[in-house]
Amino acid sequence: MGKPEFLELLVFHLGPLHVGVTVLATWLLMILLAGFAWLGTRHLSVDAPSRRQTMLEGTVLALQQAIEDTAPGHAARLLPFIGTLWLFIAAANLMGLVPGLRSPTGDLSLTVALALLVFASVHWFGIRIDGWRTYLRHYLDPNPILLPFHLLGEVTRTLALAVRLFGNMMSLEMAALLVLLVAGFLAPIPLLMLHIVEALVQAYIFGTLALVYVAGALQSHELQHED
Amino acid sequence: MEFDLTTFILEVINFLVLVWLLKRFFYRPVLDVIEKRQAATAKTLADAETVRREAEALKSQYQARLADVDKDRAAARAALAEEIAAERTRRLAAVEAEVNADRQRRQMLEARERSEREAALEREALTIATRFASRFLDRLAGPELNAKLAELALSELDALAPDKLDILRDPGASIKVVSAYPLDTAQRAAFTQVLGRLAGRTLAPEFSDDAVLKAGVCIMAGSWVLMANLRDELGFFSGSLEHGG
Repeated sequence: MGKPEFLELLVFHLGPLHVGVTVLATWLLMILLAGFAWLGTRHLSVDAPSRRQTMLEGTVLALQQAIEDTAPGHAARLLPFIGTLWLFIAAANLMGLVPGLRSPTGDLSLTVALALLVFASVHWFGIRIDGWRTYLRHYLDPNPILLPFHLLGEVTRTLALAVRLFGNMMSLEMAALLVLLVAGFLAPIPLLMLHIVEALVQAYIFGTLALVYVAGALQSHELQHED
Repeated sequence: MEFDLTTFILEVINFLVLVWLLKRFFYRPVLDVIEKRQAATAKTLADAETVRREAEALKSQYQARLADVDKDRAAARAALAEEIAAERTRRLAAVEAEVNADRQRRQMLEARERSEREAALEREALTIATRFASRFLDRLAGPELNAKLAELALSELDALAPDKLDILRDPGASIKVVSAYPLDTAQRAAFTQVLGRLAGRTLAPEFSDDAVLKAGVCIMAGSWVLMANLRDELGFFSGSLEHGG
């Protein structure tokens, strides 16, 4: 697209596997996130928390509270998956603001992978809580006739989840590139500021939708138990 | 950007690895420290609650002690008030008794002073009356009055106290009867008889006359003098009046 790509220089092939820019960007993000997590949690104190520790605790508690509000009683179990979705997508979306780098979420392969993970997690948590029979029975409620619609809903919402994130992030970068080509230097700055907001909003939407899907599955199981 | 299966598979693996990494190095340590702090906070709260309960218990205990102290103080005050009232009553009774005794003593003194004053007044009145009578009789002085006063002196000699007559009983005492006018024989005999009876022996009084007496007689036996004449203002009769009423 004419934009200089730093990571394109590092692309390689491992046999039949093509390790592209998206994977490299994801690894970079993983190293950064894991590194920050490791460095940030090395010297946690119970009696005298530092400002950095307070920030980390505030972040975790905010994530936990958001999950608890949507799926009461399941925050501890859902926090690693949903929290990582929020953090990873937000960081990945903001990565595009760094010169020479590109948001990995602008790659459909990544967003589809995340959407499929959400799809799988909904069934994973549902089956872990209630077992195969009870979980699969909710597809037949309130009437078995609705089974095709349930299945269609599962596919479409997963597809929408993947395409929404990919479309928003790809279009943002594309728009910024076009404005840069047309208007010249410094012109796309307002668009880049919009990029920050959009990056955080899309991360919030993706993670919240994933949480709502998982919580919906858990609540449907709980309703079945109550019936 | 096209869909790439290799990227898709690697991204799935990447994300799952990232979930594990963050769970291992981020969520778990932070949640652990939050849990420890919450436990420490809960322990602090529990300790504070324990201290608060102990303080409440101590407060109740001290309030009970204060109530006991107040009760004891009230009882002590009541006892003291009762004791003060008893002491006041006792002292009032003592003062009242003392006042009554003082009043009686003062009444007695007043009565005695009043009687003494009355007696003095009476004596003074008698003296004045005697003096007045003697001065009044001084104008009537004469043989008749002299005779009357001599008779009166004779009749009053019997009323004399016995201790005043001891001198008459003295055998060595010379007895003189002086009159303003010469006494006749009967009068002299009467004096001799009366004085002899009072002395318990036979007497021979020496009779004489002295006009200075104006009227009446003056009987002298040693140092004892009986004045029943106008010159001496009838002192002898005033004594008899005082005793006879």
